[in-house]
Amino acid sequence: MNNPQPAPLYESQKKIYPREIGGRFADLSKLATVTLLGLFYLVPWLMWDDRQAFLFDLPARKFYLLGLTLWPQDFPYLALLLIIAALSLFFFTALAGRLWCGFACPQTVWTEAFIWMEQLTEGKRSQRMKLDKAPWSWNKIRRKGSKQFLWIAFSIWTGFTFVGYFEPIRELNQQFMTLTVSGWTAFWGLFYGFATYGNAGYMREQVCKYMCPYARFQSAMFDKDTLIISYDEKRGEPRGGRKRSVDPKLAGLGDCIDCQLCVQVCPTGIDIREGLQYECIACAACIDACDSVMDKMNYPRGLVRYTTEHSLNSKETHVIRPRMMVYGALLIVLIGALVSSMALRTPIILDVIRDRNSLYRELPGDLIENIYTLKVINQSNDERVFKLSVEGVQGIHLDGVSDEVVVDGGGVLSLPVRVRVDREYAQGIMNIDFVVEAMDDSGDIRVEDSRFLGPSP
Amino acid sequence: MISEEYRGAKQWSRDKQAVFAVIWISFLCAAVGTMVFFAFFDPFDLIAVFDPDLNIGRDAGYAVGFFFFWILSLMCSGITAFLVRTAPKRDAKHRE
Repeated sequence: MNNPQPAPLYESQKKIYPREIGGRFADLSKLATVTLLGLFYLVPWLMWDDRQAFLFDLPARKFYLLGLTLWPQDFPYLALLLIIAALSLFFFTALAGRLWCGFACPQTVWTEAFIWMEQLTEGKRSQRMKLDKAPWSWNKIRRKGSKQFLWIAFSIWTGFTFVGYFEPIRELNQQFMTLTVSGWTAFWGLFYGFATYGNAGYMREQVCKYMCPYARFQSAMFDKDTLIISYDEKRGEPRGGRKRSVDPKLAGLGDCIDCQLCVQVCPTGIDIREGLQYECIACAACIDACDSVMDKMNYPRGLVRYTTEHSLNSKETHVIRPRMMVYGALLIVLIGALVSSMALRTPIILDVIRDRNSLYRELPGDLIENIYTLKVINQSNDERVFKLSVEGVQGIHLDGVSDEVVVDGGGVLSLPVRVRVDREYAQGIMNIDFVVEAMDDSGDIRVEDSRFLGPSP
Repeated sequence: MISEEYRGAKQWSRDKQAVFAVIWISFLCAAVGTMVFFAFFDPFDLIAVFDPDLNIGRDAGYAVGFFFFWILSLMCSGITAFLVRTAPKRDAKHRE
């Protein structure tokens, strides 16, 4: 550290009162907030046939996504999806900076909603600051109380909507209305609700500054062609106040009138004119603020604007560059892999569990027997008939199982089976394959390998 | 002065930063751990291994698993943060 002065340990923390601002980007951000929150609160209520369209049914260990049913065995899809999500984040960060932070991050979106409720009850920025300084009065209690009421009600709604992705939300709603929510459900609902209340109501930008790993490492994805929000120093400096009638050139001033509006609107409390800072979540509030001032002064807009480092230094900006091509190519490959593997997925799962209690059994008639439990999972929504068989060793066969088994749509059939091999062929550890084949014209087949143990040769 | 309002608004104390970062990051790790773990193991099977008479549902199994992972990662990153925060400073004359 080249800063010799230790940071004060217990510096009093001042609250940031972001000032409300209208403009192009404020509209965009409102649109994003309404869309994303709307989706969050609505999606669990959507129905598909006669069940919830999006339900991650943890108690039943099945995920329903529209017409698709996913099982724990489909975990690789989820892992692939998460990798794709991370890579898209890298891609868009390299291209356009912290778009995610400014417009799509749940932290930003819920904070936006909570600030809106704060404005509704406590008023504009100056009123809020005055209210906080004022001694307790009936008015203050009323305003603070109604803010808390809105915040808490909204948080509880949020928490139980969240749980509604994991348990059927209609039943949950009924239980909630009749106050018969079961223990763990209530716990998770309140847990998520409390986290929302704390994060969006109180911690706000501190989450981005001190707790978010992405905020710290996103700069690694930046280069000189990445879209950033920046103050045009060449145009703005030297800054200073002036009357509208004064020609800044004659007065020796730049275009920045030092009105501090860009600082007041900043939800993280930074001054964009000091350059790109890691606290900046790229919400573009300062662009709106500055544009409105430039309009009033009759100066051209864009003193604070979306730009790139290259363009600020009057160089050319390249959208297509090696970094973008690498991220893009990886994304295309992974998305292709996910889509094709899901499209080609055989909706049968076969799990083979070998009985651990015995190695093998010798039967009269010179036979060696091993015991297994087969789990046949029918991932389709209709009842299907399957044929079971085993292969890999001469004369190997299943005993005591009818050739054809029926499994309900979305059902699991657990089947203990005896596998027998003539003694002369059963020697040591042998690899065998269990086969389950659909008895319709789909051609769906699933093979799962296992071991067959015999006496050592 | 308006910018004067913001002096001090930017800092959480170092201790507070550490505490909240530890809580949040270990929460994320616990969430990932829980997800991966329970994708491969069914709480019912695990309950049967520990105590077949234990009559609790899957949801309780998930919760126990999640808090197990959270406490584990809290201890891990908490102790790491504590060691980093309280490490003896290098001798002043060796600095710079």
